[in-house]
Amino acid sequence: MNWKPKLGLLITLVLIVSVLSPIALASEPVTDLDVAPGVPRHETLILENPEGRIADPGRFNRWAPGGGDSTGLQQLALDTLWYIDPDAGIDGPWNNSLAEAPPVYNEDYTQMTAKLREGIYWSDGVEFTADDVLFTVETLMANPTMEFGAQLQLNVEKVYKTDDYTVVFDLKQPNSRFHAIFTVRWSACFIMPKHIWETVEDPIAFDFNDPLVSVGPYVIKDYDPNGYWFLWERREDWERTSLGMQFGMPQPKYALYTAPGPSDKRVIAQSNHELDVIHDASPEGMITLLKRNPTSIGWFEGFPWAHPDPTLPSVFLNNEKYPLNMKDVRWALTLAMDIVNISMASTNGAATLSAIHLPPTGGYLEWYFDPIEDWLREYSIEVDGELFHPYDPTASLRVAEVARKQLGDQVPTDVTEIKKSLGYGWWKHDPDVAEKLLLRNGFTRDRRGKWLLPNGDPWKISILCDAQARPLMARIATMIAEQWTKFGIDAQAEASELSIIDTRVRYGDYEVSIGWCIETWGGHPDLFWFLESWHSDYYRPSGEPAVNKNPMRFRNEELDGIIEAIKARDFDDPECIGLGIEYLKICVENMPIIPIMAYNVFSVCDEYYWEGFPTAKNPYTNPVANWANTKYMFPMIRPKQQK
Amino acid sequence: MGKSFLTYVIQRIAQCLLVVIIGITITFLIPRFSPTDPVEAVVNRAMMMGQFSHPDAVEMMKDALTKLYGLDGTLGQQYVRFWRGLLSGDLGPSLSSFPKPVMSLIRGSLPWTGALLLTTAIIAWVTGNMLGALAGYYADKRWSHVLSIIAMSLHPIPYYIMAFVLLVLLAYVIPVFPLGGAVAIGLKPGFNWIYISSILRHAFLPALSLVLVGIGGWFVGMRALVTNIVSEDYVTYAEYAGVPNRTIMYQYVMKNALLPQITGLAMQLGLIFNGALITEYVFNYPGLGYLAYSAIFAGDYSLIMGVAVFSIIGVSLAVLLVDLAYPLFDPRVKHQ
Repeated sequence: MNWKPKLGLLITLVLIVSVLSPIALASEPVTDLDVAPGVPRHETLILENPEGRIADPGRFNRWAPGGGDSTGLQQLALDTLWYIDPDAGIDGPWNNSLAEAPPVYNEDYTQMTAKLREGIYWSDGVEFTADDVLFTVETLMANPTMEFGAQLQLNVEKVYKTDDYTVVFDLKQPNSRFHAIFTVRWSACFIMPKHIWETVEDPIAFDFNDPLVSVGPYVIKDYDPNGYWFLWERREDWERTSLGMQFGMPQPKYALYTAPGPSDKRVIAQSNHELDVIHDASPEGMITLLKRNPTSIGWFEGFPWAHPDPTLPSVFLNNEKYPLNMKDVRWALTLAMDIVNISMASTNGAATLSAIHLPPTGGYLEWYFDPIEDWLREYSIEVDGELFHPYDPTASLRVAEVARKQLGDQVPTDVTEIKKSLGYGWWKHDPDVAEKLLLRNGFTRDRRGKWLLPNGDPWKISILCDAQARPLMARIATMIAEQWTKFGIDAQAEASELSIIDTRVRYGDYEVSIGWCIETWGGHPDLFWFLESWHSDYYRPSGEPAVNKNPMRFRNEELDGIIEAIKARDFDDPECIGLGIEYLKICVENMPIIPIMAYNVFSVCDEYYWEGFPTAKNPYTNPVANWANTKYMFPMIRPKQQK
Repeated sequence: MGKSFLTYVIQRIAQCLLVVIIGITITFLIPRFSPTDPVEAVVNRAMMMGQFSHPDAVEMMKDALTKLYGLDGTLGQQYVRFWRGLLSGDLGPSLSSFPKPVMSLIRGSLPWTGALLLTTAIIAWVTGNMLGALAGYYADKRWSHVLSIIAMSLHPIPYYIMAFVLLVLLAYVIPVFPLGGAVAIGLKPGFNWIYISSILRHAFLPALSLVLVGIGGWFVGMRALVTNIVSEDYVTYAEYAGVPNRTIMYQYVMKNALLPQITGLAMQLGLIFNGALITEYVFNYPGLGYLAYSAIFAGDYSLIMGVAVFSIIGVSLAVLLVDLAYPLFDPRVKHQ
């Protein structure tokens, strides 16, 4: 009697196995020597595209909404007049790309002339000339929904050519930084091929896919109709591109940009040598890779490994909201933070700290951090009739000490090395002084030790942070909330989604948020790029959208003068650095936002198939794969012979 | 009898239509009341490029985008425009992948989701119920206990844990399956074994993660139902009457226990249009779930509504079909 159910069970199992086994034993090998049919692995550089799946992968119109940005499109197929590398660059951070020379302005900065390179060709054999630049500018000006369209419309009075390689921009008002529109820092306004676009009726709807004509050294070979990968092939005539002309042949014949998924999968993919460049791993993922995969390398040879982007994650304090409109309160919140704990909790200590309002990366250490160090050590706040020196020059050394307990010898001991990789110093953790600052402004504590506002209401702070796209921000927010709670403030981290956070912050619908509004060139000391929007001319009260980089709604007359003085000077005027240092002092005095650290990107490169990736020792560009600047990696890396 | 059945059918269809209209209206309203604004999302994206944008330029861009996306006009005007488009089969352009039509995006993802979820749902349902029924009917047997322990261990495991375990085990420790994707890079679609086997290999791990957890759920439910039914008088009577075990099992016990499971299956099939977000994310599988997820974060009203409309219609139709088919399985419904 009992054999029947057993037979049923057996049949079921046999059925399952028979369905699944052909799948498992299917003919396709798992460890392919080819990335794709006819695309050898050893000739292919595989990079992560952090955008994930591209819903409309066939759209390559980089100037309009839709499609992907860093699918290889802006790195390998598009180009523009100039690039500034966030690090040292191959032969200096400034690179004349499609332009032959830096921009030339007239005396009052109402005209900019760009001289173009000769001998550059689009991938279909048509020569790149001034007509392409004119066409791009005119098309974008006629379509303000396209990126840079409205910006060009507001700036450009007239654009014309004096010959096939010289473009002149007459500007509506003096603008000494107009060239920034055509200067890549991550991205910029790229140039369109006129001969393709001039027949297009609707440039917004145009996908730029039939054909995608490239002015960079690669052309699209194939892409996933489902949007997970994009395969590029080196142009036969790569020497007729700005990159090839200047720096030689891009080494990989093929480049594959893929979206490998969550951090754990990226780690697995690189361990399997299926992903040469991870855009950003989690700190734990980075440590795992360095332990498990001997060919994985970070930016720094040892701890903290990560590449510090020229971007400064900070604690945004809405300077309009009571009581954050009080300077003492902003300083009290700063002194209630313990940066060693924040660094350990957010990045396992692998953070490059910054006490001042600039990221500690690229040339900024030399231009700003070194010159201001003595002033910071001397800087004092008057508290109860005594001078308190809030700067702690040993903060990064203390981080290194704690990290060394976990990671041992991997953490450097040399002070210069530590300062370079973990930052110079930070503000003291001194809750007693923070308390005095609050007490003198009428704050009190209740019976449980919780802070009450001067009007007697409990002091509550919600720290808005992005937990989904940038978990680092959520980790920072959580630790700060914990520390402020310990100090007696009813603080909590409020995780939300990035576009919601961006919108709330722009409209001033927040008290405290973690994000960045200070972004620099990295390879150039000019601060005007982010600082312009801090001018009170652009101040917008909460309820109205803040202008770009002033979500904290900070206004300061002295700073206005500095911004105007920078604007009146040439981009390369060395006096701008001195003005920048004055900007830093105003920020330290007022603490409009609390700087924390460089945005450390845990980019990991696998030296299994390729070597010569950019590192802190050889910083010819940054390895962060979604930056358009990473095109400079391609002629510099070398194939590695497999044993 | 014929007339009352017709009334029953008409009532159910009317109910279904009402649910669809209410569901779609709610779907139309929710994103518009959410704090995510597609125009702001595009502006924020432009800002993320780091460029300084003059406030007037930003305003100019916002106005133009609002018109371009068809978000101008009152809520009522937008609602009328939406129904007009929907009834003519046009869900409008996606706002995050502008100007790609929403229908085109859904059409691209639906076959992958449909094939994966339909197959796994049916495999899990058949296997889980078969094994659950056997284990419930032969509850005293040792193999029944073993199966129950396995199923109860599998059932509560979240999909993403199962997915990661399988991924690490079969794509890293023993690398016999690819890490992700739907098909090998560079393979051209075609009705040939290389392409089909590539699809099957890539679908294996995501399918296995769904099937294993799914089997656990169906097994536990079916076993509980069967365990109750076998203690009913009519089963005992049939056993005393010498009816063969096989007949009791399939004709008396399983047939009765299947009714709630059929409803569950119908609901699950209806939900196929939602996709399987976690599975898709972990395995880079190009389904509807990830498409909807991205649309929500980008504030892409059109795409959210597109996916939701399919989902609402799918679930409603599934429920309707179950309602209509129930009399076939359960004579009591027919008589009522």
